[in-house]
Amino acid sequence: MDIHGSTVEFHGVTRKFGNVVALNDFSLKIKPGELVTLLGPSGCGKTTALRILAGIDKEHSGVVEIDGKDMSSIPANKRNIGMVFQAYSLFPNMTAQENVEYGLRVRGVDSVARSKRASELLELVGLASQSARRSTQLSGGQQQRVALARALAIEPSVLLLDEPLSALDAQVRSQLRDEIRRIQKTIGITTLFVTHDQEEAMAVSDRVGVMNKGNLDQIDSPSHLYNKPKTPFVAGFVGLTNVVPAVAQSKNEVLVLDQVLDISEHAPSLVKGEEVKALIRPEAISIEKAAKGAVVITKSFLGPMTRIGIDVGLHDLIYVELTSKEAKKIDTGDHVEVTISSDSVMVTHA
Amino acid sequence: MKRTLGWSDRTILIAAGFFFITPFLAAGEYSLRGYGGKGHTFANYTWILHQLGFGPALLTSLRIAGVSVLLLLFLMIPTVVYVQLGGRRWARLIEILCLLPIVIPVVSLAIGAQVAMPKRLQSTSYELCFFYVIICMPYVYRTLNTGLQAIALPTLVEASSSLGATPVKTLVLVIIPAIRSATLGAAFITFAISMGEYALAVLLHFHTLPTWATNAAQENLYGSVAISIGSLFSVWFLLVLFSYLPAIKGALQNKKVKVT
Amino acid sequence: MSQTSLQSTLSHQTAEGALPVAKRMFRLDKSFLGILPFLALIGYFFFYPLAVVFNESIHDSHHHLTASAYKALFGGDYRNAFIGSFELAAYSMAISAIIGALICWAVVKTQGHARKLIIAAAGVLTSTGGIPLAFSFIAAFGQEGLVTKILLNVFHWDIYGGAFDIYNFWGILLVYCFFQAPLMVIIFIPAVENLKVEWQEANETLGGSRIAYLRFVVIPVLAPAFISSCLLLFASGFSAYATAAAMSNGTIPLVPLLIGNLVNGEVLADQANQGDALAMGMILVCVLVFGLYALVMRVSRKK
Repeated sequence: MDIHGSTVEFHGVTRKFGNVVALNDFSLKIKPGELVTLLGPSGCGKTTALRILAGIDKEHSGVVEIDGKDMSSIPANKRNIGMVFQAYSLFPNMTAQENVEYGLRVRGVDSVARSKRASELLELVGLASQSARRSTQLSGGQQQRVALARALAIEPSVLLLDEPLSALDAQVRSQLRDEIRRIQKTIGITTLFVTHDQEEAMAVSDRVGVMNKGNLDQIDSPSHLYNKPKTPFVAGFVGLTNVVPAVAQSKNEVLVLDQVLDISEHAPSLVKGEEVKALIRPEAISIEKAAKGAVVITKSFLGPMTRIGIDVGLHDLIYVELTSKEAKKIDTGDHVEVTISSDSVMVTHA
Repeated sequence: MKRTLGWSDRTILIAAGFFFITPFLAAGEYSLRGYGGKGHTFANYTWILHQLGFGPALLTSLRIAGVSVLLLLFLMIPTVVYVQLGGRRWARLIEILCLLPIVIPVVSLAIGAQVAMPKRLQSTSYELCFFYVIICMPYVYRTLNTGLQAIALPTLVEASSSLGATPVKTLVLVIIPAIRSATLGAAFITFAISMGEYALAVLLHFHTLPTWATNAAQENLYGSVAISIGSLFSVWFLLVLFSYLPAIKGALQNKKVKVT
Repeated sequence: MSQTSLQSTLSHQTAEGALPVAKRMFRLDKSFLGILPFLALIGYFFFYPLAVVFNESIHDSHHHLTASAYKALFGGDYRNAFIGSFELAAYSMAISAIIGALICWAVVKTQGHARKLIIAAAGVLTSTGGIPLAFSFIAAFGQEGLVTKILLNVFHWDIYGGAFDIYNFWGILLVYCFFQAPLMVIIFIPAVENLKVEWQEANETLGGSRIAYLRFVVIPVLAPAFISSCLLLFASGFSAYATAAAMSNGTIPLVPLLIGNLVNGEVLADQANQGDALAMGMILVCVLVFGLYALVMRVSRKK
């Protein structure tokens, strides 16, 4: 399977639905063979971006290029893009095999060649034995595998995945997720993946772009995104974050939960006395049993980790994650002392 | 991801609207013509009111339609609820039985009814109600079935009975309110069909509104067109009212929420 | 009766699953009770009269078994009536199916009130057909009707220049299409609504044209529903009575009209069971059509 990876570029793409700006001056470059995920809540514009690239949505300003070629005048059926939809996209009147062959059939490929190619692809997605079944006879996960095989059969220059896992059960979801990544790497196809599930995005992507109200807030590798979020929205959307009121003590220092933290690393340029919000990852907080002070209210076992909710006298609980072994020592109702390490604390202007 | 209306779709809809509305507008115009086709007047409509048979025929039709609606709802709501809850195995049978009245010609039913029904029943126009129940059953079954499928019926019944309600109370206080719009729809279609049914009424020699109108037509075509237009428009008006009722109610409730 | 059926229902609900086999057998009898009122009504007011019709059709006025009434169906007026009814049903089916399908195709793309209104209007046109529809058309398309006059004076098309007359076969066909096409909209629209936008978009991204989409996806997917809808339209056109009766005064050879005439006493003594035989003939045609319908549905469900 020799699909070469293409370069995909968005240049200042804007799309409006009436007065609503679904996509605002969106620019992005995807390198050959890269898997980029657009992550965000529903209505953030991620699917719009994908549909514009596919050519299904044509009412936009700005330019989309594939391998440096402007796509404006090229209709969806000439773009050579493989797309996997959320669900229900298999043609119900055809078998799995016929579905995979469809793109080749409309291109006039002879039946021997397209049957051979379809068999190869069904093999690749692990469904060779189900080729004669219709979509109604396949499980949700199998249907999405066939849809993937169908999208790849036309040797597309780009693969688009529009929440392909969201209609599946949790177990099938993570299995198919890893398999999509494996196949994508094997073929080396440039891929744009759209999802609202941050865990999914982090697990499969080379880079993740977090979208918020039509804007691309930040695009980075998964680890960068988690450790160095650029905006509070990104911090909040990627992983669990405590949002705690804080007061600036100097240009680089804040007072949070009776602790003064030096956060010069983030270059916050604060004004003394300013009221701000501190964003603190659960793992940046450590706790110690104490005679009095904050109270442990909730304790949820998450497998290797245990999440502990602490009442520190604020409106919301503060969440801390400990290894389950450490957490054994602490029970609900215990008093604890809370310590925050400054290196992964971010501050926003309330 | 909405489907969009293209120019060809608009053309189809506009053309269809035009073809379906024009004859009724033309008939409306016809019903307003004066005697000899001269000028326009409401004379044909007032003529209806002065006919001796009109009042009784209208009353008979209304009475029959009303009884048919009650009878059908009283029979079908418990039956459909029952089939969905415990009698699933009968669903297929009932579906097939409910299709037959559409398939079998009403005329055949009428010819049998003449001979088969006891004389006491044949002497009263309420005989028609039972046959209208049969004719309307397919539509009513489908409407109620769809309505019931849209609610979590077993859960509602379990919840209600665990709170101590008797089955009848569950039916009246929980299920029927939950399928209110389906019930209204079923009632409406039964009413409309019963008011307009002609074959059974004429073949069994009853004087309902449609049979009276055909007789009147031989005397005054203008008048019977006026009756037709009048009855069509009143049914349409009722239907539009019915189908917008939930929407109107919803809108009013939304307003209330906003005010408080 | 509502009380008993619901009560037995609820007792089954709570007892479900924990019953020993013997009790389950017993339950089979009881579950039958729930639909008994329904069966009783449809049995007495539907199947019983039809059985009587059948019984009468095979006996002469002296209660002797005979098939003479059936033999008569193959000749003269009766044969013509079956041909007439068949033609009327087939033509109105063909025209209405195409018009109705086109409307469905457009209607599924509308939203909200527009869609609700169109479907409601179709429902009303279908179910309030009959007499009012017939008179409205006599008024609109008659010699003096507004539509006839407009077509003549504005478009210079004399619709009475050819074979058309509102009181003959073509006039009745026209009116039939006005309640058959809406009927098509109602029964065919669920199938069209089931066409997923994703299929169209998948076709596009896979390189298919609009025509490829129609040819390889839309037509094969809709075919079973289209055929079965056509069969229902045929049955409906074949057995309709009111419209034809109001428009033709019983002069056009159609089976339902002949039956009506026979029922209304225009009958010789030795033909007393002719109406019954005609009715059975109609039922037979309709049951055959219905059988085809069931077959199509079964085949399409298996896919």
